[in-house]
Amino acid sequence: MSDDLTLYHWEPNANSGKPMLTLVEKGVPFNSHYIDLLAFDQHKPDYLAINPMGTIPAMVHGGRLMNESTAIMEYVEEAFPGPALMPADARDRWRVRWWMKFFDQWLGPSLSMLGWNVGIGPKVRERDPEELKAAIDRIPLPERRTAWRKAIYGLFSEEELAESTRRILIGIDLVEKTLGERAWLACDSYSLADINAFNSAYFLPISQSEHCNDEKTPHIMRWLRAIYARPAVKTTWAMGRTAMSDRIKIFEGEEVKPW
Amino acid sequence: MVMTLYHGEPTGPSLTVLAALFEAGLDADLQAIDLAMGERHAGAIPQTTETDYSVEGEGPVLLVDGEPLCDSVFIGCYLDDVAPGSGLRPADPYQRWEMMAWCRWMIERLAPGVAALANRAWTTPRLGVLDDAAFAAITDRIAAQDLRERWQETRDGTLSDEHRAASEARVHEATKKVEDRLADRDWIMGDFSLADLESYAWIAPMRELLPDAFAGKPRLAAWLTRVAARPSVRRALMQARTKHPAHGFAPGPEINRWG
Repeated sequence: MSDDLTLYHWEPNANSGKPMLTLVEKGVPFNSHYIDLLAFDQHKPDYLAINPMGTIPAMVHGGRLMNESTAIMEYVEEAFPGPALMPADARDRWRVRWWMKFFDQWLGPSLSMLGWNVGIGPKVRERDPEELKAAIDRIPLPERRTAWRKAIYGLFSEEELAESTRRILIGIDLVEKTLGERAWLACDSYSLADINAFNSAYFLPISQSEHCNDEKTPHIMRWLRAIYARPAVKTTWAMGRTAMSDRIKIFEGEEVKPW
Repeated sequence: MVMTLYHGEPTGPSLTVLAALFEAGLDADLQAIDLAMGERHAGAIPQTTETDYSVEGEGPVLLVDGEPLCDSVFIGCYLDDVAPGSGLRPADPYQRWEMMAWCRWMIERLAPGVAALANRAWTTPRLGVLDDAAFAAITDRIAAQDLRERWQETRDGTLSDEHRAASEARVHEATKKVEDRLADRDWIMGDFSLADLESYAWIAPMRELLPDAFAGKPRLAAWLTRVAARPSVRRALMQARTKHPAHGFAPGPEINRWG
């Protein structure tokens, strides 16, 4: 099976982490192909020959390419045996999809904007300016080119950053309230929604430590620790290659650096 | 299971959900509401985190045993889950991935553009004649600040040249995408599916505003006729209460914050 299943991914974080953790939770063996996002490997000819969109993650199964991390998660759930990561009840399933979309399209862009602004952007700008310009010119999708230019040069307005912070604080409130009503994000069992959300929410107690902590958000902290305790999380995070994957040790009680 | 569908005029997401309900052969009490007068936020419709922060903006709500479900593609998946064999989704996991990735493009890329153009043309005049108190009565009930801001922009008619151009480009991209896709098939996924409804519901109302995007695309034209001829779509269109049901928009999804 692993011969014909390859996942192209970066660190276990945000979009890359979603299919990684899903595959590991299902116990599906796969070829792991690490793509260095910060070296812009995803826009180089070798990778574009596999995924012409130049986005990560991407998965190839039986010679067929798939992108869009959340859609890949549902594929993994349906195409392989293993523990169920979608609830049986149709309304619960609707809620799983709703929460994934909320993280993907409402909260996620705010989290990534602040992440790029304070963390990844400054790191990338240490590189040769000519190399950076060439890297942007290679990006195939025009909308991704615009997004990367903003991210690389830190072209966020004060208003955009303030709006991102506002949304993150609201997101924290909504997730805390929801987890006060049920054990897991979308229903009473661990699901793709928890996997999706954990891949960005694990960072909240670090990046938003004043607003997301044991005192102010006990339900979020309980939920993050419950996910961290799963063996699949350890296995997935061991696939990281940079200091980013050490951030998860905050759940061991260790002090960690955000970037 | 007791279902009530609160829907707007049969265009955009309300058209998708009405037709999906009829395709699935399920019974629901149909309650027509005026989305552009804020009726989704009033009356018997419960306000939950999920309806407050629906990424789709002002869309239909399917009330199932007291819980309100929103976001048209996910309501379509729900209906398919409770009526297996409805044909709303393909059975094969890879085809399902393809359908979800296709719909994601439509809701994330096309829908914000269509909503911006349709609201500027048809909703702005309706909101413009309301006095301040009547408008405030609508927006005071809306929980999400970013959605309230889209209502305000719609009332003010502030659509920048840049936003208009980007929105029009999306419509051109979508009509080309469908034309190309239909080179070897009658329906988006080969067999008819939710992808046809979701694509049709956002694309069809643009014929009136952007005829250029439809010119010289014979396969698109034939598909528009084919979708409109389905009994489910005809029955959905019969739910219209106004002379121009295609105009029945209300503030929709926001344009992706990364551009």
